[in-house]
Amino acid sequence: MSDHSPKIKPADDPAFKLPESLGALSVPLCIGGIAALVIGWMLGWFAVDARFGMSAYLTAFTYCLTIALGSMFFVIIQHLVRAGWSVVVRRIGELLMMMVLPLAVLFLPILVAVWVGGGTLYEWTNDNFVEETGYSAKAWANKLGYLNPGFFTLRAIFYLAVWVGLALYYFKGSSLQDETGEISITERLQARSGPALILLSLTTSFAMFDWVMSLAPTWFSTMFGVYLFAGGMLSTHCAIAVGSYVLQSRGALRDEITVEHYHDLGKFIFGFTFFWTYIAFSQFMLIWYANMPEETEWFFHRQEGVWMWVSLSLVFFHWMLPFAGTMSRHVRRRPMLVALWGCYLLVMHFVDIYWIIMPEAEQGMGGVTGVIASLLCVIGMSCLMLGLVLSKASQTGVVAARDPRLLESLRFHQI
Amino acid sequence: MTEEKTNNRVHGIVAEYTSVDSLLKASRRIRDAGYKKIDAFTPFPVHGIDEALGIKPTVLPWIALAGGLIGTCTALVMQIWMNSIDYPYIISGKPFISLPAFMPVAFELTVLFASFGAFFGMWALNGLPRFSNPMFTDPRFDRVTDDRFFLYIDAKDDRFDSAGVQKLLGETGTEYINSVYEDDTPTKIPKFIVIGLGVLMALSIIPALVVAKMRVTKSSSPRFHIFYDMDFSPAKDMQQTTTLFADGRAMRPDVIGTVARGQMNQDLDFMTGIDVEALSRMDMPRAQRLARAYSPSALAMDDPVADVPAAEVPAKPADEPIAEKPAKAGKKGKKKTAEDQPVAEDKPSEPKKEDPVVDEKPAEPAPAEKMTEASKPAEESATAVEHGDSAAVAPAPADAGVAVDTTPWLTENPLAISAEVLSKGQEQFDIYCAVCHGANGAGNGLVNQRAQKILATTWNPPSSLHDEAISSGKYPEGKLFSTITNGIRKMPGYGSQIKVQDRWAIVAYVRALQQSQKASIDLVPEDQRQRIELLKKDVDKVLAEQAEAEKQRAAEANKSASTP
Repeated sequence: MSDHSPKIKPADDPAFKLPESLGALSVPLCIGGIAALVIGWMLGWFAVDARFGMSAYLTAFTYCLTIALGSMFFVIIQHLVRAGWSVVVRRIGELLMMMVLPLAVLFLPILVAVWVGGGTLYEWTNDNFVEETGYSAKAWANKLGYLNPGFFTLRAIFYLAVWVGLALYYFKGSSLQDETGEISITERLQARSGPALILLSLTTSFAMFDWVMSLAPTWFSTMFGVYLFAGGMLSTHCAIAVGSYVLQSRGALRDEITVEHYHDLGKFIFGFTFFWTYIAFSQFMLIWYANMPEETEWFFHRQEGVWMWVSLSLVFFHWMLPFAGTMSRHVRRRPMLVALWGCYLLVMHFVDIYWIIMPEAEQGMGGVTGVIASLLCVIGMSCLMLGLVLSKASQTGVVAARDPRLLESLRFHQI
Repeated sequence: MTEEKTNNRVHGIVAEYTSVDSLLKASRRIRDAGYKKIDAFTPFPVHGIDEALGIKPTVLPWIALAGGLIGTCTALVMQIWMNSIDYPYIISGKPFISLPAFMPVAFELTVLFASFGAFFGMWALNGLPRFSNPMFTDPRFDRVTDDRFFLYIDAKDDRFDSAGVQKLLGETGTEYINSVYEDDTPTKIPKFIVIGLGVLMALSIIPALVVAKMRVTKSSSPRFHIFYDMDFSPAKDMQQTTTLFADGRAMRPDVIGTVARGQMNQDLDFMTGIDVEALSRMDMPRAQRLARAYSPSALAMDDPVADVPAAEVPAKPADEPIAEKPAKAGKKGKKKTAEDQPVAEDKPSEPKKEDPVVDEKPAEPAPAEKMTEASKPAEESATAVEHGDSAAVAPAPADAGVAVDTTPWLTENPLAISAEVLSKGQEQFDIYCAVCHGANGAGNGLVNQRAQKILATTWNPPSSLHDEAISSGKYPEGKLFSTITNGIRKMPGYGSQIKVQDRWAIVAYVRALQQSQKASIDLVPEDQRQRIELLKKDVDKVLAEQAEAEKQRAAEANKSASTP
């Protein structure tokens, strides 16, 4: 409203710094995270089997990766559309996007599993695949032209290089602006955002084909990359809402992030909840309708036994409940409710990733030990990521303090 | 203030402001003074104006939500009703009610109805459409689309008092306060609009009139084709050639080893009316041919075996290769005629009518011709099968020259006879049989009456179904079924038109018809006897009258004949 005009605080204002109480969590989170991750991974590996352990690891990895990539999409899209409203929360997205750096290192175990072969993680690394499954040898030979360790590694290096490059480029640009306030930096980032987005979309989609869809090597869905993008994008908005709320509750950005920004994040959460459903259902319906065995096997497997309940839980708790819950303007204009729905959907995003990856380990949920192992993996990796993000945040601040559109964002008001 | 309008009713009072801030301040002031019916007019959306005016949150979202839910329900109910109840139709082998398939339409209608709810709800809440607003009478109001902001207090407000309002507004930093009067421009619709609309409506009737005229008049010029493809479909008919396939055939044979949906004819007895097991004991080759004719897949799979009985054919003329011949005749009919081969289908009056058991079977082709036919690849007969299970694949109950029918016909209707079956049979009988055989089966249907009237020379009167020869003792059920299926003498086969089930229902109904002619009243249930008696009385009366009239007429004719 125009009766109180917000002021831009100086870039070194304490409200722009990561609160001490949060910064102090960084090291414990990192250590605890690594511990939980290793314990969960080993528990899955030895208590169930190697493939289960690796799958649990991949679940945790994919969970963090989709959020990191979603954040990268978020940041680049804000530049692409020259968004004004989001400047006060964009740095949170930029920090989350930086997770791709440690994730590039954490990809190594997956790469090793591919080179070890024998179906340690991906069944296509198993030399006896055709004999064991009765799959057409000719079709398999053609598939192996794409799914082989050498080409897989090359592609992985390419994807990771693109992401790390984009993350550094956009993060460095933004943090450099904190010091110089140079408008040309914003112009440069905007100018590059179009090609960057195309590159990011293609690499994301293909990485999801390579790393997740190839768990079921005979199954294919061209929509698969979009599906994981939808989940990641949803989670990013949730994570930003939760991050904003936590930062504000610890004293940072109290005057900067207003109910209007939560309202917009809430709208995006609502919208992407439905977008996720739309994509998930489109993928399902085409396969269900055509009813071709090589396509239905993936969903059929997820309708058997315990997986059916997980599938149904996605329908009710990843779509209907949050869809109804975030529909109202009154909910979206209460920061605490937006943050709570954000937490909830971050959990559901894990269920989604779990549902995608774990059925391919062919061990069900792996019993109580298996569930604990899976949870330890994802909690461990998330904590590790959070710790690293916090340590980065303590160096750079939690808002793009001298962005030319900061004032516009501060004044942002819903009609 | 405009003097000449003072005689008009005051609609409200408007004040002009030059900035958003002064407008918001004034709005709050008026709101706090307790006015409810107030409104603001601005060149662009102003943040916080609803709060400043004290406007309550709108109910529009609820209308949109209700619209959306109605849309979802409409879509689901519509699809379930259409696709699952009113016209149950299997699509892609899915259940009649399969929610995933209904989702896209449900989604679209939800969006559509929610949009309608929002759009028309907005209209309703704003009292739209409205063609004029008194505000437009204010001379300075035009600037509201440019750079001025207006605040308006309606005269209907409980606290409205012209002087008080003007005083209050005067304190809010405005330079212009004006009373808004009722719009006194005439409410009559201008003449040119009325005339224009009238002309348009008159013109719009012309196409309808043209269509109406076309419907009732004849024309010698060919019709024009708006959608050419719909009138002249590129689809091929039976027996046509195409360049699309290497073998040139437009109709494709079944894929080897497959059975088309609904063509899984397992119960041969039911399909043919013949006790096939008994037949196989008597005449194995014929039973085999029968089996092959009814299951194309078996035929396609046992190619080598299929040739064996066919090769025997010339040796046993009584056993025609039934499955193959009519297809042959159909396909090569013209060629054969050119070769002067006897093709029965083209010659209506075969001198075989005296034989009561003989079918409309064509005369035997020469053995040599038969040989070549028989040794054609099995595909040939597959084609025959494809063309329907009527005459092409039918068993020949008997053949030319064989007077005694030894076929082991089924002697009982395989359907469980019930009122339902009989009424189905009656329905089908009335549709297909009654035109010739008459509704009562006496053989005097409309076609027969007409044929007698015009003295049609080629007409072969249909049998009365009450003939002793067709009674249940002499004419087994299976044979009756076969006759309906394949035809007899001039009667065509109905196998391709009537479902197997329904043909058996007709058989049952014919039996009931036959019985009705010699039934006694004891067979009628007690509670219906009285009704029958009454009906009988009426009928007897009419018959007696008719007989009387006939007698009189005859007497008169006699008289007039004898007078001269």
